[in-house]
Amino acid sequence: MVDLSPLQEKRYHRNIQVPCVGVEGQKKLLRSSALVVGAGGLGSPAAYYLVAAGIGRLGLADGDVVDLTNLQRQILHFTPDLGRPKVESATDKLRALNPDCEVVPHNFVVTAENATQLVAQYDLVIDATDNFAARFVLNKACLETRRPFIHAAVLSMAGRVMTMLPYEGPCLRCVFREPPSLSAKTTFELGVLGAIPGLAACLQATEAIKYLLGQGELLVNRMLIFDGLSMTFETAEVRRDPECPDCGTP
Amino acid sequence: MLIELRVYTGLERYLGTRYGEKIPVTIDRSTTIRDLLARYSIPASEVSAALVNGLHKSLDYCLQDGDRVSLFPPVGGG
Repeated sequence: MVDLSPLQEKRYHRNIQVPCVGVEGQKKLLRSSALVVGAGGLGSPAAYYLVAAGIGRLGLADGDVVDLTNLQRQILHFTPDLGRPKVESATDKLRALNPDCEVVPHNFVVTAENATQLVAQYDLVIDATDNFAARFVLNKACLETRRPFIHAAVLSMAGRVMTMLPYEGPCLRCVFREPPSLSAKTTFELGVLGAIPGLAACLQATEAIKYLLGQGELLVNRMLIFDGLSMTFETAEVRRDPECPDCGTP
Repeated sequence: MLIELRVYTGLERYLGTRYGEKIPVTIDRSTTIRDLLARYSIPASEVSAALVNGLHKSLDYCLQDGDRVSLFPPVGGG
C-alpha cells in the first residue's frame, strides 16, 4: 500500500489525529469514492467536506445552472458563477481545494435511465437532491447496485438525515411511500435558512466518512430530525418494511 | 387503550406541544391514524409519513394498545 507523502501527512494531520481515522483510515479514504447528486444547498457543503477530507474520487451530478437565489446557501457557487453549469462551477472550487481528489462532473439530470450506471461507479451516494422523484430513482438504483444511500432533506428551519444500507435497514420508500402532494409547500414558499442544509450536509459527510472507514454507528434504523429554531435534535425509530415496494419481500 | 404520539417539524402547533415531545393519548378501539389527525385538526395533506413502531402505515391503520406513532410533514428541499 502506498504511504502518504509528507505533504499529505501535513494536509491530513488533523484527520489522522482522530482515533477513528489515523494513517490507515486516511489512506483508505484516499482510495474511496462518493457520488453527490445535487450541487446545491446540501451538495455544496457535502462535496466540500468530502473533498477537503481527502476522498479519492468525488462525482458530482446536477443538470442545473447557478441562479442568484442559490447563493444564500449553495456555498460552492460565487457571484461571478451566475449562469454557469453548477457542476462546472463546483468542480473548479473543489479541484482548487484539494488536488488529491479526482473530481468528476456529471452535467446532467439523474433519471431512471442513467441512475444505475452512474451509481455503480461509486462506493456510496449522497442524496443532495431537492425533490422526491429524484430521490426515489436514486433509492432504486442504490438498492440495485447495493450502494449506501445517505439521505437528507430540509425546509425552512428544519431537516432530517438518514443512512440507508440496502437490505440491511430501511430504504427511503420504507419510510416515505409516496412523494408529498403537489400542494405541499417547498423552499420556494417557506424558504430555507442557508445554514440549515449546511448542517444536514455536514452530518451526511460525517456519515459517509464513517461508512467508508467502517467506524462508529450509522444512522441506520433511525432517522435524525432536527429543528433549528428550538435547536432540538431527535432520532425517530425507522424499520425495514417487508411490504416496501422497493426493498420488501416479493 | 393508550398510545404514544410524537409530531415533528411544525405539526406540534396543532397540539400545542414541543418538537418530538412524547404525548400519551388515550384512544378507543378501532381508532385509526386518520381519526387521530381529526382529533387534533391536523390536515392529512400536512402528513407526509406516519410511522407506527418505526414502520410506515396508511392513515387507515387501526391503532393498537402501546403503539408508538410518529407524524412527519413534507420536507423535501435540498
